[in-house]
Amino acid sequence: MTNPNIDLGDIHWLMDILQNIDVGLVVLDKEYNIQLWNGFMDSHSGISPQNAKGENLFTLFPDIPEAWFRKKAEPVFQLKTRTFTIWEQRPYLFHFKNYRPITGRATFMYQNTAIIPLESIDRQIHHICVIIYDVTDAALGKEEAHKLGVEINKLTRVDPETGLMTTDAWHEEISRELARVHRSEMPSCIALLDHSQLAIDADALKKAYALLARSLRQTDLACVPQSGQVAVLLPASDEGDVRFFAERIRKTIGRQIPEFRNHTRIGIARALDTFNNANEWLQAVDAACTAAANTDDHLQIHTPDS
Amino acid sequence: MTTPPIVTLSDDQRDCYQELTNVAMGQAADRLARLLDSYVVLPIPKVNLIEISDLRMAIEGAQEEDAVSAVCQGFIGSGIAGEALMLFNDTSFTDLARLTNYPGELTHQAQLEILMDVSSLLIGACIQGIGEQLEIHFNQGHPVVLGQHCNVNDILNVSNQKWRRTLAIEIHYTMEAVNVDCDLLLLFTEDSVLRLNHVIDFLLD
Amino acid sequence: MATNILICDDSSFARKQMARAIPTGWDVEVHFATDGVEGVQAIREGRGEVVFLDLTMPNMDGYGVLETIRKEDLPAMVIVVSGDIQPDAQERVMGLGAMAFVKKPIDAAKAEAVLTEYGIMTRA
Repeated sequence: MTNPNIDLGDIHWLMDILQNIDVGLVVLDKEYNIQLWNGFMDSHSGISPQNAKGENLFTLFPDIPEAWFRKKAEPVFQLKTRTFTIWEQRPYLFHFKNYRPITGRATFMYQNTAIIPLESIDRQIHHICVIIYDVTDAALGKEEAHKLGVEINKLTRVDPETGLMTTDAWHEEISRELARVHRSEMPSCIALLDHSQLAIDADALKKAYALLARSLRQTDLACVPQSGQVAVLLPASDEGDVRFFAERIRKTIGRQIPEFRNHTRIGIARALDTFNNANEWLQAVDAACTAAANTDDHLQIHTPDS
Repeated sequence: MTTPPIVTLSDDQRDCYQELTNVAMGQAADRLARLLDSYVVLPIPKVNLIEISDLRMAIEGAQEEDAVSAVCQGFIGSGIAGEALMLFNDTSFTDLARLTNYPGELTHQAQLEILMDVSSLLIGACIQGIGEQLEIHFNQGHPVVLGQHCNVNDILNVSNQKWRRTLAIEIHYTMEAVNVDCDLLLLFTEDSVLRLNHVIDFLLD
Repeated sequence: MATNILICDDSSFARKQMARAIPTGWDVEVHFATDGVEGVQAIREGRGEVVFLDLTMPNMDGYGVLETIRKEDLPAMVIVVSGDIQPDAQERVMGLGAMAFVKKPIDAAKAEAVLTEYGIMTRA
């Protein structure tokens, strides 16, 4: 490609720009030997162009995952296409210090890279150029925003009264879980604990909820669907797992509130492919919970025919 | 500020865009076929003027929860600007992982890698292919992955463009023998369409 | 006598591009078809001694045209001009009896090269 901007006499300008531009430029040949190493690379790596030139990239930087980088670079040689890597894939290609070592929050420089083909006079690609962009600020900003988002999400999903999930959020979750069950083979259950026949004072109840919250796995979600009940969604669990879990909960809370142990009814229902919506699942667990009144251990597992 | 004239598209122009895209996507498919060693079925590209609501629906459809399923990448050259949007509708990442030789477990990270590899290739080849025929060198921005933490409304509203309808080129890729089904959408800004139409008219002349 | 040339492509832009690429000074009569069905008809009527054939077309695609030519043993030398340049596509059309495969976009240089290579073009 000819470029009307460039005269041969202007080459020394171009060299100056190459040295001073604030992006990294590395030219590699087919063997991944470094052919060009600009000022940015020199400054950040501490390796001078004299020492970099001719060296193999992977020997000079053993922490660059060779197989991964080749996967990104080979199509550039073979197909003349540009490829890109973003910091979300891998925070950096070259491990450089953050540009702001004192006031910056990151210890290293986040990088995006573009790999472009360089056409030789014979129109073949014998060289590629790796362009390295410092995206530390953008990456930190995005990670920060993400963290805040998660935090806000948590705040709006937790009921301050019970410390458990709000019923609205919980209903959303079970709808989503049902859809997931329809797509996969993984079982999923809801356990409903009903203690409405007991008169438990508010303070004791709050303690009971805290105990419950502590015994949940990270993926389990509990809420108070109505006063006198606690519902727990247990993804990736079958009825057997959930029975074990529910019994344990009844025992744990029973240590604080003795009558809880003997008078709490438990219904368990697994998500079935035949459920059209989350309400049908809730009805099943509700029915099981009602039926639990007539069993010896006050626990009933929903069966499709019951 | 003056409002730009309404974007229009004559039958001849549509035909021309279709043909240019056809050639470009053929090049893209050829690269993908070589990468994956599997034949890519080439459809006839759709060239339309679309409303912003259509785009919203297309993106929402591709945003299945938890799944990383869309990549967008901006491009610009000779004052013509647009974005390429790659939507993976019903794509089996297991199949893609096998074809692209990704070892090990198919983690979120591995999906991201595959998504980037495939979309880089398809978007790059398509944009370059169209650019070459129009004699425009398009610069490409860095790709952005639209994933679980990206809200459709954020993507479409934050951009301050008050566009209503614009040119969209839609390419639907499927592959023989494997479960890969994706859409590549090329969207141009309204003012770019006017410039593009001008270039096209020159070719049609 | 003028050679009958058929350009078979669903895109009017592509047909125009193809027509422009035909070398000047070659004694030809150029005909057009907008899909495979029209194309086959034209070949049957002797308007396609040399055919520039696209692959992706509605009604009948380029593969269909090649199959019909072979089945009916029609007198046509076919040069496939295609955007689909995957190795599989090239192999398939050559297997179906196409004489040459040219990558789109076509231009005068490419057209002249292929016509000369296969000795199709005879200067008037």
